[in-house]
Amino acid sequence: MVKTLISIFIALGVLVGASLFELYYVQKTFSLLTEVLFTLHDKTEAQTATIEDGTAVRQLWEEKKDSLQIWLPHTAIQEIDYQLYEAVGFICVRNYENALPKLEVVLGMCENVPETYSLRLKNIF
Amino acid sequence: MGLIFIRTIIVFITLLIVMRLMGKRQIGEMQPYELVVTLIISELAGIPMSDPSIPLLYGVTAILTVFLLHQIVCLLDLHFKPVRAIVSGIPSVLLNKNGIDEKELKKNSLDVPDLIESLRTEGYFALDAVDYALYEAEGTFSALPKVNYQELQKSLPVILITEGKFDEKNLSFTRRDKDYYLALLKKRGVKQKDVLVMTIDGNGRVYLQEHGKKYQIIELKWEKTLW
Repeated sequence: MVKTLISIFIALGVLVGASLFELYYVQKTFSLLTEVLFTLHDKTEAQTATIEDGTAVRQLWEEKKDSLQIWLPHTAIQEIDYQLYEAVGFICVRNYENALPKLEVVLGMCENVPETYSLRLKNIF
Repeated sequence: MGLIFIRTIIVFITLLIVMRLMGKRQIGEMQPYELVVTLIISELAGIPMSDPSIPLLYGVTAILTVFLLHQIVCLLDLHFKPVRAIVSGIPSVLLNKNGIDEKELKKNSLDVPDLIESLRTEGYFALDAVDYALYEAEGTFSALPKVNYQELQKSLPVILITEGKFDEKNLSFTRRDKDYYLALLKKRGVKQKDVLVMTIDGNGRVYLQEHGKKYQIIELKWEKTLW
């Protein structure tokens, strides 16, 4: 009985701990990305965004992407990847008009993706 | 991860309830919760393994949740009797010294031929050869035979009537027609529709049980053994 109880508490501890960490980590990472993307969006809107700005955002995303893939389905990550690369590509050639809608999409995804995988009743069922 | 954790709990509990509702026949030789674990664990391990777009952690979380639930159910099963009855079920006494317990039989979604077949697999061919027959929680049968049970099954008994209906094929084995047996029933004040089961062996030994009554044995004293 003691062995069973220990295994229950260990398993429960690991699961609850990892779930809380996932919740915290995913939210925090996407909050940071949203913040950075908003800055890039504002700069793009003002047509002052440079190649360096776009590359910096892309680099930050690259850093976070690897660890996010542990917690989230890879298809969600790939979608953000695709849209962000396109937006940065447009910024590089100073095509701000096309870059803006792409950044809007990425911003929307950064808001939606963590919500889709968060602990909510609508997501459970 | 939290989502997978809760979803796995929901699937586990749903499957467990369904397995318990389906009854012991669906189980085989496992406890219901053991079958549920067996059913879902291979899927849980397989999907993240074959689909690289799903984080492996999802599979690990689900498997760990199943393990956790298994341990909890195991613990409850061992130490809390009321929970044990709910989770694993309790054995049912299908046959006792008065004969077949119809109520228990129906409760377990079984009929008389099912019971007779299960007893045969245990080596008991006559219904009166056993004092008690139990349908265990994991879906197997066990029986407590009478001391002289070998003497009671010298010839193979066949079903003549179940639930008030004649078995035409078995009737032909006895080389006697319905009227013969209807007269026998009438003589004993039994109506055909009231017969729960009536079996007969090659020596003319009849096991007769009416709905809700104790069984009776009738020796027909045939001139020769028919089978």
